Amino acid sequence: MSLNPPALSAPALLAGLQYSELRQHELRKSRVMMIDGNLTLNSRLSEGGTSARVYRDGYWGFASVPGTGAEATERVGRQSRDNVQAMARFGQRSSVVLPMGGYRGEHIYHGREALDQAEIQDRLGALNAWCKQRYPGLKSIRFVVSDEHHTKWLATSTGGQSLASIQRALCQVVFVGQSADGAPVELMEQVSGKGSLADIDWSIDTLAPQLDELHRHLRAKCEAVAARGGLQTVVLAPPLAGMLAHEAMGHPCEADIVLGGAVTSGLRGQRVASDLISMVDFAHHFQGQEVMIPVYADDEGTPARDAWLIKNGILTEFMNSRETAARLGASPTGSARAYGPSDEPLVRMRNTAILPGQSTLDEMIAGVDSGYLLMKTANGQADSTTEFMFGISLAYEINNGKLGPAIRDTTVSGSAIKVLQSVDAVSNDMHWSCSGYCGKKQPMVVSMGGPALRARAHMGGE
Amino acid sequence: MTMSAQDFDPILRDQAEQVLRLMRAQGFDQAQVSVGWHRQSELNVAHNEPSLMRSTEQSRVSLLGLLDGRRASTELSSLDDVSLRHGVAELYAAAKAAPQDAANAVSANQRARIAQGPLEADPVLLADTMAELLAFRTRETPRFTLEEGATAHHLSQSHTLTTGGSDLASKAGWLSLSAFGTAREGDRASSFNYAGGDAHDWAGQSAEAWFGIGEMMRDTSQQIDTQRFNAKFVGEVVFTPNAVDDLLGWLLGQLGDAQLIAGSSLYRDQVGQVIASPLLGLTSRFAAPGVVPLSADAFNTAPISVLHEGRLQTLLPSLYGSRKTGLAHVPTTSGWEVAAGTTSRAELVGQVERGAIVGRLSMGMPAANGDFSGVIKNSFRIDGGVVGPALSEVMISGNIARMLKEILAVSRERLDTGGTVLPWLRIGGLHFS
Repeated sequence: MSLNPPALSAPALLAGLQYSELRQHELRKSRVMMIDGNLTLNSRLSEGGTSARVYRDGYWGFASVPGTGAEATERVGRQSRDNVQAMARFGQRSSVVLPMGGYRGEHIYHGREALDQAEIQDRLGALNAWCKQRYPGLKSIRFVVSDEHHTKWLATSTGGQSLASIQRALCQVVFVGQSADGAPVELMEQVSGKGSLADIDWSIDTLAPQLDELHRHLRAKCEAVAARGGLQTVVLAPPLAGMLAHEAMGHPCEADIVLGGAVTSGLRGQRVASDLISMVDFAHHFQGQEVMIPVYADDEGTPARDAWLIKNGILTEFMNSRETAARLGASPTGSARAYGPSDEPLVRMRNTAILPGQSTLDEMIAGVDSGYLLMKTANGQADSTTEFMFGISLAYEINNGKLGPAIRDTTVSGSAIKVLQSVDAVSNDMHWSCSGYCGKKQPMVVSMGGPALRARAHMGGE
Repeated sequence: MTMSAQDFDPILRDQAEQVLRLMRAQGFDQAQVSVGWHRQSELNVAHNEPSLMRSTEQSRVSLLGLLDGRRASTELSSLDDVSLRHGVAELYAAAKAAPQDAANAVSANQRARIAQGPLEADPVLLADTMAELLAFRTRETPRFTLEEGATAHHLSQSHTLTTGGSDLASKAGWLSLSAFGTAREGDRASSFNYAGGDAHDWAGQSAEAWFGIGEMMRDTSQQIDTQRFNAKFVGEVVFTPNAVDDLLGWLLGQLGDAQLIAGSSLYRDQVGQVIASPLLGLTSRFAAPGVVPLSADAFNTAPISVLHEGRLQTLLPSLYGSRKTGLAHVPTTSGWEVAAGTTSRAELVGQVERGAIVGRLSMGMPAANGDFSGVIKNSFRIDGGVVGPALSEVMISGNIARMLKEILAVSRERLDTGGTVLPWLRIGGLHFS
């Protein structure tokens, strides 16, 4: 699909409406999975479509169809107007004046030439053979490589006109070993970044030290002990702090969740974390470098800016779309994003991070008499109460400032506010990743970042 | 309902034939082609108010090509000639580069014509259903904010052809209704909660009665004020159907391709063995609303029993998984039901000395051996068989394989959400912390 400005522009849709937007959206994905040298998945997806969304009297109408061109544009324009008209049956709704302004510009990622399928499969085959030879005791080796490209052309009735792309790639390696009782034990390492599989470094040379580490941790995990359940002192390694930022305080700071009754709604200006904690949802740059998921304009054409969620422990602002900003009396942050061609924009995070502090990870571990170092997480979930949980797939006991045995898979949870208020050390390094999807009606590509944190949190266990 | 050939869209069949010819001409030895589309009309609610009407249309061409045992697949949304030719050529290059694997194959000699559910959208019905749910909220559960709600009509049509002579056509319509939100009073809020499902019509009961939505909204309204256990102990749980779904997902994963091929399934050699409580039965429900009884690898699916009185009846490898492992091929799709028990929900709770009713489990992926721990959400304390206050910051841990064996009672009531029909389960031996 080639993206071209539609013949019918968003302003042309506007007659009788308060706001309109037109989007052409192309989404391409590839995913290859190899289990023990067997190519169990080798798939690609290419999807393109046109959508229109209009606003009148407090209601929205949305329509999407596959393909682009004048006919597709005409159809979605007509259908979205019909849809907003149909909402009139529900009577008067409190209407807001949507903030004006529109971003004009182009931001296309220019990465290396994409790898062809033969090269991807050759590399996977070589990686598999290398792992098999180097780690003969493994029960199974699994690789997943994928990349994902979004290109969006957008025009809005507020004057926005933009062409933007987001690309990200991922390489995951899963080692499966066996515990003494014969049960399978798994551990995963992953590399993710901006661009296609040609842009991230997943060569054997680069991965070798990481895979040696993964293997070492897997062997430790095969002899893991159960965690002690209950409130514990934990050192969250940087990848977990990113997850904490996203799940625990990121979601409750999305303005639509706030409007839905999240506990954060009454906490703006109040202390929600230790003064060591500052947390930002970055739009497109962090410390002068473009972030992994750069958003210069969101899918409502709003110029994107950083949203400072927590500054030195104080809750400062929320992430907003045009409508939530109007309803909360705030300014939009450029956080309205749609995942696929047939999705409408929702308030979503972009690149959410806790900012680094001044300690080192070693110092933070040395300061713990009894607790845990949490190193890898599989996934996480948030709640409107700010109670969160992450699955922990790799962790070690800390006894008298030194690492002890690995512990079996567990879960860490707590009220984000209580956990962040208990933070007494923040490391001076930073880890970013963009490997997973955020789920909220639609999936979404996001990145998350953070330093190591030391806090008190609830561990699942015996 | 089975329709005659002329009731199916001849254009889709022509398109599938044309693409299959293209695949053959490109040089593929074997191929599978599916051409289809999905239309959805959806009414959305935000923060207790109707907010958005959405109409979406998606088309999809799914291609699977085999070349000398090498395999690749792709999905396109465009059926124009240039896109198709480009897609088929790219697919050929991808297959040519793939490793040879004798287990790759496509289905042969399958035929189906399946039509089910409502085939026409009724916008008035959607609006009336949502209006009814909103009225229920205002009247019965005013503290519950319906943060996101949606009701929709879906229509999916597809035609699949393979070089092995399989010819499968389906046309499925269904309705969906979902509700997601929290309850709030002053500055106190409950955890979020949700319910929803698919049906073929809305007849016979009011909107809130579907999929346990009204019960969810009532329960959530009782979960604004919560307590912790402040104790570690081994106790019992009553899993609601929402939590039972997590157990089901883990079990089905153990029986499917990835774990079987990797050799990490706990049940690889357990067919015919007792792997769960004799109270547990699991069967397919492949013609459920929102489900078409055809497998992704283009086979008709026959009804199957997976667990009977706790005894494992079958594994669930696909055609590829079967040829890879030597296990019998069992075509499946989504749609499952757990057999009802003989105990009432009230009795189930009354039998628990110390533990909790678990509305939802918030947890990471259970470990390959079944170990898990998770925060119990939307849950209530039970002491001496009596339901107490709502809980927060309580975790349970255990092992799912062991939990399946430690099911102590199964409710006679079940929750039908379309794709699943699940009872409440009483399970022992969970660590609370």
